[in-house]
Amino acid sequence: MNRYDKGLVIFILISSLLMYTTMEWFVRYTTSDQIVAVVYSYDKEVLRIDLNVDKVYEVEGTLGIVFIEVENKRIRVEKETSPYHLCSIQGWVEYANIPIVCLPNHIVIIIENGSVDPNDPDVTS
Amino acid sequence: MRKRSATRRLTLLTMLLAMSILLHMIEPALPIPVPGVKLGLANILGLITLYLFGIKEMMTVNVMRVLMASLLRGILFGTGFWLSMSGMLLSSLITILLFKQNKFTKIGISIASSALHGIGQIVALIFINNTIMMVYWLPMLWFSSIPTGYITGTLSVQVLKRLKVTERNRV
Repeated sequence: MNRYDKGLVIFILISSLLMYTTMEWFVRYTTSDQIVAVVYSYDKEVLRIDLNVDKVYEVEGTLGIVFIEVENKRIRVEKETSPYHLCSIQGWVEYANIPIVCLPNHIVIIIENGSVDPNDPDVTS
Repeated sequence: MRKRSATRRLTLLTMLLAMSILLHMIEPALPIPVPGVKLGLANILGLITLYLFGIKEMMTVNVMRVLMASLLRGILFGTGFWLSMSGMLLSSLITILLFKQNKFTKIGISIASSALHGIGQIVALIFINNTIMMVYWLPMLWFSSIPTGYITGTLSVQVLKRLKVTERNRV
């Protein structure tokens, strides 16, 4: 490796660290106590979950049922049918703006600030 | 003599393409604990093609690799295809730019290529999932490009060294 390569490595190291700290600060700063998880299937909202209620939810994915677990204001994909189980490997997510993406099942879970409207028929709490 | 050389060139390119398709297809089966991070083994063949033949041939091998591997896996024009295609196009672009500059070594080019591959995938994900939040993966992919790019770059250097020895022995 020459000095240009080393410069590139240092640039990537510093910029990734800066990006990570900025995003982490933004995510923690913008996450309020009132948070909901919105589940999208093929870009369409299919479920709105209250993270204050510990429960396991089931959503129909492309390859089968996706089991979504909520516990202590955190959310994760507990089980799903996919080749490499990347979204269940990702584990628990508790801050807004960190998405869980299940590409083979076309399911995206995004935590957002807000509350669940109990009168909405499409909403589960 | 010219005809024989053209045939040899075509055979070599076809072999490189076949190997890149094979690596592209078996790579997802390699266990890497971080979601979304891949070694990018197929990029080794792209880099080898660049140094053995040139820019045009590298682009041909890379584009054909993504097209044919997606076709064989049955995901042509699916999500995985667009992720691979956008990542490959951006990484090829930076590879060509740095190769023309002639300041970086193969390992440096490989690291930059790996980093831009991650950006390409994030851009595709933003369009596919219609949310800017996918950008959260960027620091991790950007950072992981250092070890993955180093590994693929070192492997390319080793393969190129051995290929040159073979060429000399043949003459």
